[in-house]
Formats: sequence, C-alpha cells, structure tokens
Amino acid sequence: MSRLSLVAGLGPRAVATARPGWSRRAQYGLFFSFVAVIAGIIVGVILLTLSLVAPTTFASVRGAALDVTGPIAGALHEVTATTEGIFTGAGNYWDAASQNAELKRERQAMLRRMVEAMAIFQENRQLKATLQLRERERSTVAVGRIVGSSFNSPRRFAILSVGSSDGVQVGMPVRSPDGLVGRIIDAGALASRVLLVSDRANIVPARLLRNGIPVIAQGRGDGAIDVRPLEVGRNPFKRGDIIITSGTGGLYPPLVPIARIVKLDDDGAVALPLADPETTSFAIVELPFEPTAVAAETAPPAADAP
Amino acid sequence: MVRTALTPPRRIGQGPSPFAAYLPAVTVVAASLLAALPIVSTSGWYPDFGYLVFISWRLLRADPWPPWWAAALGFVNDLFTGYPIGFSIALWSATMLAIDLIDRRTMWRDYWIEWVLAAVLITFDEWLQWRIAGIAGAAPPFAQMVPPAVISIGLFPVFAWMISHIDRWRLGR
Repeated sequence: MSRLSLVAGLGPRAVATARPGWSRRAQYGLFFSFVAVIAGIIVGVILLTLSLVAPTTFASVRGAALDVTGPIAGALHEVTATTEGIFTGAGNYWDAASQNAELKRERQAMLRRMVEAMAIFQENRQLKATLQLRERERSTVAVGRIVGSSFNSPRRFAILSVGSSDGVQVGMPVRSPDGLVGRIIDAGALASRVLLVSDRANIVPARLLRNGIPVIAQGRGDGAIDVRPLEVGRNPFKRGDIIITSGTGGLYPPLVPIARIVKLDDDGAVALPLADPETTSFAIVELPFEPTAVAAETAPPAADAP
Repeated sequence: MVRTALTPPRRIGQGPSPFAAYLPAVTVVAASLLAALPIVSTSGWYPDFGYLVFISWRLLRADPWPPWWAAALGFVNDLFTGYPIGFSIALWSATMLAIDLIDRRTMWRDYWIEWVLAAVLITFDEWLQWRIAGIAGAAPPFAQMVPPAVISIGLFPVFAWMISHIDRWRLGR
C-alpha cells in the first residue's frame, strides 16, 4: 500500500476511493496501470519531440494513415458535392432570364478584355524573344480534389485526393486555376496533405501585381494572409491589390496569384487567398519551379512540417 | 433499494452486448475518424472529436479501457487528425492519470463538476495545441484558440449524453 501511495504521489488518506484491498494481485494491477500510463506519457513526449525536431521520421506512417482517411473523405465529398450541385443547379433555373442578360453583358466585356490581353501577350512574346529569356515549361504532376482539411487544429492543412502513386512528392507546389493553394507536406499512396498558404508556417515570397514591389506573404492561421513589404517604409498596399508569387526561393512558380488585399494595418495588410480551399474544386500539383534550389532547402524542413 | 426501483425492468435474455469490453475504444476511434469528414474549414473551430469522446467515457466510468490503451488510442487520433505524432499519446495518457488523481480527491460528483473538469481538460488540450503549433513555427495569437475551446466546452454535455446512452446500450440496461 505504501509503495502505491508513493508512486501516485498521494498521502495515505487519498487511496480511499481506489483501495485495492488486501489482494496482492489487485495491488500489483493498480501499480502497473499507473506505470503503464506514465510510460505512455513518456513515449508520447519522446515521439512528439521526434516529430517536431525531425518531421520526416514518421513520413511513411502518416502517409499510410492518409491512405485510410483520404479515400473516405473523397467518397463523402462526392456525395456532398452532388447534393449541393442539385440545389445550386435548381437555383440557377430560378431567374434564368435576368441571369442570361447579365452573362451576355459580361461576355461582351470579357471579349474586349481578351483582345487587349492577346495584344499584350504577343507584345510580351516579342519582347521576351529580343531579351532571349527562356520560358520554363510548367509541368503538371497531377490534378486532384481538395476533400478535407484540418478543421480541428490551429494549423491549416488540406487533404488532396492524389498521392505518390500519381507522382506527388513532398515539397511540390499546389495551385488551382484561381491561385496558389500551398505545398505538399505529407504524401501517401492515394492522398496527400497540403500546407495551405493561410498556415502560419507557410511564407511565400511575393510581389504586388500593380507595381512589382516585393512583399512577403505569411498565413494567419484563420484563413487570411498577412502581407508585409520587404523594404521598411511607406505602406505600399491599397485595398483590392492582388499579390502574386515572385518565384524567389525556387519552390513556387512566379506569376501565380495568391491573394487580394482586404484590409490595411500599420505596417502591412491582410489579404484573402484567391484560391479559397472551401470552394476550390480542383487543385493542380506541379513540379517545384527550381528543383535544385528546393532540394537544398527542403532537406531539413524543421520549421514548416507538422 | 432506491436504485433497484429506478432501474427499468430488464427484459429476459437481454445482457451486455458481446463486444461490450471493446465498444468504448471503438467509439473513440470512430470519433477520431470524423477527421475524414469532407469539411474544408479555414478557421479550425471544430472540436477535437476524439478527445471529447475520450474524456466523456473516462468521466462516466473509471474503467472504460485498460489505462495503457490511452496511448494506443492517442496514436490513432494523431494519425487521422494530422496532429504531430505523440501529441495525443502524451495528452491522453496524462488525462487518464489526471482524472485518476482527481477521482481520489473528490468526495462526490455531479453534472456541474464533470462539466468543469471537462472544461479544464479541453482548455488544456487547446492550449497545448497552440504551444505545439508555436514550436513548429506556426503560432497564431492565443485569442484565435478561444472560439474552438468555447465550442468544445459547449458541446461536451452533448457528447457526455451520447456516451452515457451508448454505455447503457452496451451493458444491456
């Protein structure tokens, strides 16, 4: 009895509710259950330290777990998407006439913009030819759907329905037609986990589309992004500004839109990602822009993996 | 005597379900698997379902599973929810120990004390998640952790109620 009290750090009177009686077997049972729980705590702390210090230690286990949950999430996502589709589809019929007129107007406006864009595109190509800039081929590795997320954690991850069997590897950038989504941090065979641009640990070198001022985009953890100018001085942001990737660092390809600025603060601004993971249907996994630069950088990814 | 009078009449042939010993652990794993729901949220305000079910069982009964199972269940939760591996193993084992110690001190329990205990445990869970995110280089301001903690604490009675019903069903009462 006295040994038990010592283990649990209790005074003699406190054992009253869990008194094992005079049975040696019961006493030892209680004693070993305490030992087991304390061993569990110690093992947990060791594993936690390992996964914080060397995140790649458990890559295969985490990948295998993703292969269990990923397909489930994918199947459920299919069901909810179909249900939502039926309702929004029915809603679209509701005022089709006014919608039609509005769409026609938009189409006219878009056509005019497209002609302008074509002209700029051609001019750009000529200028690039004179500068003899080599355009890097953008290569798509896989296209998947965002089927889940870390909805009960302060970190911002999403689960993507493609994995290493499709060629996805840790460190690859992910984008959608609307903008940058994030990068791969765990890859299972059938599914992978994406570190979203809105996560605190995701820092993207970027610039302002309007005037090319270099900025740094860092997630806020609540779905928005903090944007800071690289050079200290006047706040260069305006509401509605678009932030695009600069390609610095070699991971993310340049000229991918990231976010739109919605609020200014003292030394920067708050922006909302253009590729909202809640509404993004398809995400494209690409090769790292400068694979050699990334290989050197992602070897010890201590700061950004979970 | 009062207790006998209050228990509903047991039908003949009704007893504990054949998997009664494993059912609590199975419900915890099922709750961890809720992380596979196709919810894409950018706020992270959803509760830690696995932990809620875990503390609901442990606060309801002293023996839902052998104490060392806490580590195994925590490992499953880490894998499915994407927490750093080891987080739930340590936290859930520590929870078993903490509630054991509290059980020895408290003279009596009622709904309010249980809710307060759960609130303390949930707050500790959220605080620890915040600390771990900070160590991993992604610490949000602590104010951002308040809504999920409040939501989880508010949801605890619902989970406790569900678990008590499952418990009665599993024991065939």
